[in-house]
Amino acid sequence: MSDRTENLLLILPGLLLLALAFFLPIFQMLALSVAGPDGPTLAHFARFLGDPYYLGILWRTVRLSLIITAICAIIGFPLAYIMARVGPRLRLWLIVIVILPLMTSVVVRTFGWMVLLSRSGLVPELLRDLGLVRRNFSLMQTETAIIIGMVQVLLPFMALSILGVITRIDPRLEEAARTMGCSFLQTLRTVILPLALPGIVAGSLLAFTLSASSFVTPSLLGGSRIEVLAASIYSSVTQTLDWPFAAAQAVILFVGVILVLIPYMKVTGRSHG
Amino acid sequence: MKSAFKTTILGVSAIALTAGAALAQDKTLTINSFGGAYEEAHKKCIITPFEQETGAKVQIVTAYSADAFAQLRAQKDAPQFDVIHFSGGQEIVGAAEGLLAPIDAAKLSNAGDLYDFAKANLAKGEGPAYSIAAIGLVYNSEKSPKAPTSWKDLLDPAIGEHLVLTDISNGYGMLGFLMLNQVQGGDLANIQPGLDTVKKLIDAGAVVVSKSPEIQQEFAQNDAWVAPYASDYAYTLRKAGLPAKFVQGSEGTPASYITASLVANRPNTDLALKFIDMSISPAAQTCFADALRYTPTNSKAELSPEVAADVAYGEDSVKGLIRFDPKVIEANRAAWVEAWKKTIAQ
Amino acid sequence: MVRAVPTWLRAASVVFLILTALILLAPLVVVAGASFSASQFVQFPPDGLSLEWYRKVLSSPEYLSAGWTSLKIALLVTVSATLTGGAAAIAIHRRQLPGSQVLSAVFLSPLVLPTIIYAIGMLMLWSSLFGPVNFLTLWLGHTVVAIPYVIRTTLAVLSESDPFLEEAARTMGARRLQRLWLVVVPQCTPGLAAGAFFAFNVSFDEAVLSLFLRKPGLTTLPVQIYGQLEFSPDPSVAAVSTIMIAITVILIFGIDRLLGIRNFAET
Repeated sequence: MSDRTENLLLILPGLLLLALAFFLPIFQMLALSVAGPDGPTLAHFARFLGDPYYLGILWRTVRLSLIITAICAIIGFPLAYIMARVGPRLRLWLIVIVILPLMTSVVVRTFGWMVLLSRSGLVPELLRDLGLVRRNFSLMQTETAIIIGMVQVLLPFMALSILGVITRIDPRLEEAARTMGCSFLQTLRTVILPLALPGIVAGSLLAFTLSASSFVTPSLLGGSRIEVLAASIYSSVTQTLDWPFAAAQAVILFVGVILVLIPYMKVTGRSHG
Repeated sequence: MKSAFKTTILGVSAIALTAGAALAQDKTLTINSFGGAYEEAHKKCIITPFEQETGAKVQIVTAYSADAFAQLRAQKDAPQFDVIHFSGGQEIVGAAEGLLAPIDAAKLSNAGDLYDFAKANLAKGEGPAYSIAAIGLVYNSEKSPKAPTSWKDLLDPAIGEHLVLTDISNGYGMLGFLMLNQVQGGDLANIQPGLDTVKKLIDAGAVVVSKSPEIQQEFAQNDAWVAPYASDYAYTLRKAGLPAKFVQGSEGTPASYITASLVANRPNTDLALKFIDMSISPAAQTCFADALRYTPTNSKAELSPEVAADVAYGEDSVKGLIRFDPKVIEANRAAWVEAWKKTIAQ
Repeated sequence: MVRAVPTWLRAASVVFLILTALILLAPLVVVAGASFSASQFVQFPPDGLSLEWYRKVLSSPEYLSAGWTSLKIALLVTVSATLTGGAAAIAIHRRQLPGSQVLSAVFLSPLVLPTIIYAIGMLMLWSSLFGPVNFLTLWLGHTVVAIPYVIRTTLAVLSESDPFLEEAARTMGARRLQRLWLVVVPQCTPGLAAGAFFAFNVSFDEAVLSLFLRKPGLTTLPVQIYGQLEFSPDPSVAAVSTIMIAITVILIFGIDRLLGIRNFAET
């Protein structure tokens, strides 16, 4: 058996599964996006791309996903680092705290936020008591609510992705840097951060794609007045029953995400080696 | 390690096998119901009596109209439902696409007692309406400074941010909006007056929600006073301990029909028809009205005075219900939803 | 001479940890609190104190059978996704197959599309080929959605591993399977474990595929919760979630007792 055969054997089950159980049904569905009453048409794409309203939805989706990813990375890296370096007892607790949100249904978690952020919820009430906001202030149905909710959903993914890599970094590297006179923050920046990069990249890819395609949290926390692309697709499928248009929107989302991801992978790939 | 691994695999495949073994019963019907309190009433009023009478087994898939329709359409080649229930007019699209089978009125013993509107398009495949939700004004009787009486009252600036509107992707929301549109001088050919009004209401602070639990949330926690919505939901809120009351707007009451349709290309047609027949029987409808405050469509259904007060009851009262032409709604739904979204977008 | 970590930085990390924990736990605390509420709706702070909702959930055949279904599927998906995804990740990582960049993008793609598109496509295809959906359909669907997580975590760990270990094993005469099982697999164990964990969760929490691929008797817990919220959002959904939270805590501490998460994280 050659190396090539071995690799093929390893990848084949996954590849077959994806080809038959994912790409086949997906292509069948996406083919609808060019289906018209009289043969193939690009009308569904033209409708989307020619309408500032839908372009606005696309832009909002990409923008919010980028913000959410950035916040997750900014919180996730120090969190993972601390998790990797604290004593075993505290680490166990931190792991519990990070894992717990993953074990509760997204729908239910989002419902928790709805209770917290709505007009009479704890958070706006607190801000009100502090005199920071107006009387009828509410965080519900704002982009802020979507960001808060999504960060809570995605931060565990980010933190765990980075943690997996950081725990494998040889602590002696850090000691070496410190002995040679680096301050703690310098060590963090010049030794740990570059080595943790694969984890950060993996976590960011995950966070970005998940937030771009998620539907439950944005539609419950943002409400119907702040629509994101996945919610728009959902409504085309179940409410207006316009499946070709839903398929076209899915294609656009797919392409949009890929367009953002490719340069990102290139840049990080280069800086890493 | 290796043997532990093997045991896992064995255990896992055993689970897969037992779970894969399908239920094989001769007389089985598959239907959808809407979950929660609705499904409980559905079981009590129709499903259990049906099972007792016919000895058949009814399997319920909990699915709202929109989700159930998407599933029906995608499973065109191998439908799983025998009888499918819709509350948002989906039966019109389903019948037009050939997903639903025509019903011979002669095969339904109770069809003769139905009001005419409830059985208008049986031959096309649109199943009979077995109950009606009346759309009016749900209000908080403790907090609202005065009880609303007409649709125009929604425009009262005093209500402002205490008004809850429902997105028109929701069937009840659509009817409430069309009514508001009509009151403001629009009609089904022109929804602009309605959109302009909604825009004004939102600018004045009205909240837009898209799902019924959010309405409950608004009433329970967020100081909502009024919401144009359905009579049955006012009752649901009241049962949950909220001071919610329902009133029909003086300009008229739009009606939302809940229908039971026969799915095409299924083997158990006779049994399914028997189920539909049971759904439109006076006993079942009385029971539904008792449990959830839906308006019966069978003229023989008899309600107690207490229940009758909460619903539209009797031929004259039912005649007063407005039914916006569902065909026009279906034809325009996509365009209207888009126009609505653009209107409310921030 | 090693300079100590500055005190302000230590203080800052404590504040940081507390804030992060707040964000992560706030909605869970609300849900847990609301589950003890005596009122009919999800409310925080809870109104009154009652175990009524727990009684309702634990005596409800719908919740129990949905929970059992979810557990079965999630366990199966954990095995199938970790095996196929882990193997594929190892092959991709070696970069000996043509287009390994493209391959990893291919394996990531189920994440990019909203699940509803996949759900409808799967339902259409399955119905036209095999008729009614069944347990297998849902298992396949969940596995597809879970594979990318395994690929990601395994690749991330592998990219930090020492490529020469396998080479060394080869020079020293280890056979193919030995190299794979004794050198490569242990190297990616943390990634596989994290991937398996994600796979379990993704499947256990997946609502959209389960919503459209369901049939009588095949209702998962998230679908049951979703349906309950849709029609009568009483605190029973909060009670279910609190039970799940409690089970998780017990599980994590149990695993720690038996195997030691700390050892596992340092592997």
